[in-house]
Parts: sequence; structure tokens; C-alpha cells
Amino acid sequence: MFEQLKALISNYVEVNADEITGESRFIDDLGFNSYDFMSFLGDIETELGVTVDENEVVNLHTVGDAVDYLEILAGKGE
Amino acid sequence: MKEININGAVMKCYPLCAAQKLHYYTIRYSPVQVLCIGTGLYVKQDVDFELLKKAIYKTYEKFDSMRLRFVQDEDGKVYQYIVPSEERDIEFFDFSHWNEADANEEMKRWTSVPFERFNSPMNKVVMIKMPEGYNGIYLKVDHMTMDSSAIVGFDRAVLETYSIMKYGADIKQSPVRPFIPQLEKDLAYEAGSPAQKKDEEYWMNNIERSEPMYTDFSGQGRLITQRRENNNPNQRWAMVVSKDPTAAISVYRLEKEASMRLMEFCEMNNVSMASLLLMGMRTVLSKFNDNEKDVSVKTCVARRGTLSEKYSGGTRVHFFPLRTIIEPTLTFLEGIRIIQAEQNKIFRHANYDPIEYTMKRGRYWKYDPGTSYESITLTYQPLTINKNTPEMPDIPYKSCWYSNGVASQPLYLTVMHRPEDNGLNFNFEYRADAVTESEMEYFYYYLCRVLFRGIEDKNRSVGDILEII
Repeated sequence: MFEQLKALISNYVEVNADEITGESRFIDDLGFNSYDFMSFLGDIETELGVTVDENEVVNLHTVGDAVDYLEILAGKGE
Repeated sequence: MKEININGAVMKCYPLCAAQKLHYYTIRYSPVQVLCIGTGLYVKQDVDFELLKKAIYKTYEKFDSMRLRFVQDEDGKVYQYIVPSEERDIEFFDFSHWNEADANEEMKRWTSVPFERFNSPMNKVVMIKMPEGYNGIYLKVDHMTMDSSAIVGFDRAVLETYSIMKYGADIKQSPVRPFIPQLEKDLAYEAGSPAQKKDEEYWMNNIERSEPMYTDFSGQGRLITQRRENNNPNQRWAMVVSKDPTAAISVYRLEKEASMRLMEFCEMNNVSMASLLLMGMRTVLSKFNDNEKDVSVKTCVARRGTLSEKYSGGTRVHFFPLRTIIEPTLTFLEGIRIIQAEQNKIFRHANYDPIEYTMKRGRYWKYDPGTSYESITLTYQPLTINKNTPEMPDIPYKSCWYSNGVASQPLYLTVMHRPEDNGLNFNFEYRADAVTESEMEYFYYYLCRVLFRGIEDKNRSVGDILEII
């Protein structure tokens, strides 16, 4: 999951994929803006075949938060 | 994709995407010049115009969207294709002995001349010598091929290329990505993709929630008059199109320090400048419309998230209404948070065709063509061209946007950063029959009052702000 997210993140920001860690914050460290993040969620849905909840994703601040959230979604059979 | 024989050459031609159709749709109701955008970028420095011309050609090579042409097939359907190179001469015009206002007026006149629509270039670059030692370029584009992000990207690329050629400057050039793959991605989404279906579901729910309320930037007069004319005291929409599209522009310059205070507020509170501006605008609209709680403003979504979207030029902007119902007991910051949450939802579903949305909304609420619930459109443009290098340090810049003389909407506010000091300019483009300059000034005055009353105490209630401004 982490590797898939790193690949998707690299489509959005000019950052060396090796520098992306679980602690990387989308806005403060990776330079995402609100549009980038919402568009990124769309890519996640398409790529991973899940449906994310718009109200829950506002609490995803780091890449690790996103990995945890998506793993729970995947576990629910989404 | 379709292959069409154009002047003996078989070209790969693509249909228009939703963002382009949005502009094409506009010219059904407005003169075609409404699609022209004129801009100027000038630096206070001697410029080697022969070298600048080379830099412009090089930039044309990189940006395929600058080489876009339109064509109609045998059924009259519009397609687009890219020509392999740009061979037109880049013109030069010397305004150095003109009065600056007259020079700007002349470029406004240039901007009002529309492009040939088919098999013809959709932009024009002129190298310019301005008064007081400023030199640079005038760029006119057709909105179906470029939006403001693309214009900033092109201008920046010309400047960078020129600096490298002139000074061998060690600049990391902004990357450029091809336009056609982005277009193909949009067209694939629009052809009934699962993502499009999800977005459609969202927008239908949004429409069916309840009927919005029209709030006019000049008060309730327009709605009251139209209610009376239609003998419908409950009418919530208003006619916004006009037979006379003559436009005017008023530009208000917010001082650097004041602009900084707004930016600092955004940073400290983790909110976007667009949300803050929208909060300011919706509060003024509320004030001018008997403290109405239900306010809608049309917002512009640049749709440039991925690097390919950011650097591929073209036109990608979609417009959607941002509707908020904010109780007067909520604080200014809570209001901004509501806007931000609403804006995120729009971002999430912004690939949906805005014309389709508008048609569906009109059919659902059964309002007349040419009417709306929004009197104002907002664009916040965060990008600036300024890119000083060691060879060109702290050079004074001037950037201008020239009116094309007509407007399809009553009032369009573009807020952008000045390249010279990063302060904010508020460009109000309005239909002269809908607004006067003094009304515009009045609106701007109230907008600033709301913004600064709000940021000086973010916990002040919206009701208090409406009371004290």
C-alpha cells in the first residue's frame, strides 16, 4: 500500500520517492494544496478500487495516516 | 480521436473537452471577443529583442497547447489539433514615446479583436517597448486554448529561457508537459467513466438538497424587480444575462502590508486564501441582501493537481457554485471552515462537466435560461511570474490584464498576486449595464472591511461583523 501511495504522490509533487516516509505530511512536507489532496483521493479510488469517505479523509495528515486508513478500508472488503 | 485532412495533411484531431466546451458555449450568448484574454509582462531593463524573439520561439516549441488549432468536420462538429511548429513572425511594437494610459488603451483594443476560429493560431505574442524603460511581451490568447495558469506558465517560461540565453543563467526551468495526454485523460473521464458517474451522483444530490437563493452584489433590487415582473413573490433566481455585454474593469490594489496580514492569517489558521476571500464575499453579499444566510458564489477550479496538469498549459478551468448557509452566531473562522469543507467537496467532484451541471440544475428547479443563483464569480490566482535570478536580481516587474471589452457575467472578480511585491490586486470585471464603478468601489470597500474585521478577531461572530461594518 505504502509503495502504491508513494507512486501516486510522485505524480503530484516533485519529490524524490525515497524521501517520502510514513511521517511525511501532505501539506507541510510534500507541498500538497487542498485541490491536490482531493484530486489525489480520486486517484486512490480509481487505482485501489476503494471508496473514501470525504468526511473522514480530512483527518489524514500524513502518508502513514492514509496507509492506515486505506488498509482498514481494504480490510472491510471495500 | 479522428483523422481529418487539413490543407493536404492528415492531422490527429480531438473533440473539445468540457473545459473548452464551457467557453464555446459562452459565445452562443456573447460576442466572440469574450474569449480573448490580453496580458502584458514588462521588466524594467534593456531587452535584446532579437534574443527575446528566439526565446519566444523556443517556448512555442515546448508548449504544444500554444500551437493548438480548431477545425470543423463535415457535420460541423468542432475538433482540435496541434501544428508541429510555430512559424509566424513575432511582431514588435514601440510604445516608449506613448503615454502609458494610451499604450494600455491600444492593447485593450488589440485584445478586443477575436481570433479566426478555425485553422488559425489562437494566440498572439507581441514584443513591447513601454514608457519609462519597461520592456516585455503582450500576449493575447483564446480562452478555449489557455487559462490564467497556462498564461503564467508561458510567460514564466519565456522569461526563464531569455535569462538563460542572455546570461547563461543557472536556472532550473519549470518543466513543461505535453497537452494531448491530459486532453485524452479528460475525454476518457467524460466518456461515461465510473469516476464521472460518482461525480454526477454527487452533483445531483447537491442540486436536489434545496433551492439556493440569489444574492446580488448591489442589493435586493434586481431580485425584487424580477419577482414583481414575473408575478412570483417566491422566486429565488434572477436573470443575469444581458443584451449589452459591454465590460469595464476596475483594479484595486491592496497594499503589500495589508496583503501580508491576510496571508499570515491563512497560514496561522491553516485556511486557504480562496476560502478567506469567499468568506469575505459571501458576508458582503449577505449584508447587501438583508443579512441573507443562504449565499452562493460561483468559484473557479483550476483543476491542476498532478505535475502533468500543472505544466501542460491548455485550458482546464471549471466553474461551480459554492453555496453556504451560515448562521450569524457562528464565528468568522467557523464560517471559513464551512467554506473550506464545501470547497473540498467541489474539488473532489470538479472534473464533472459544469455545463451539464447547470443544465441539470435549471431543469430541476425549472428556472429560465440565462438566470442564476450567483451574481459573482471568483477566481483566486496564486501563481506569480516573478522569478529573479542572480543575473536579474530584484528587477521591477509590471503585469497587466487587458479587457476584451465585453463580459458574459455581471461581475467577475479575479484576485491575484502582484509580481513586484506579492501584494494582492482585486480585478473586478463587470458588465457596464449591471454595475457602476462607484458601486464596485463600494463593494470592494465592504469586502476589505469584512476581511480585516474578521482576521483581527477570528472568534467574532458573523452577526457581529454584519452589525459593525
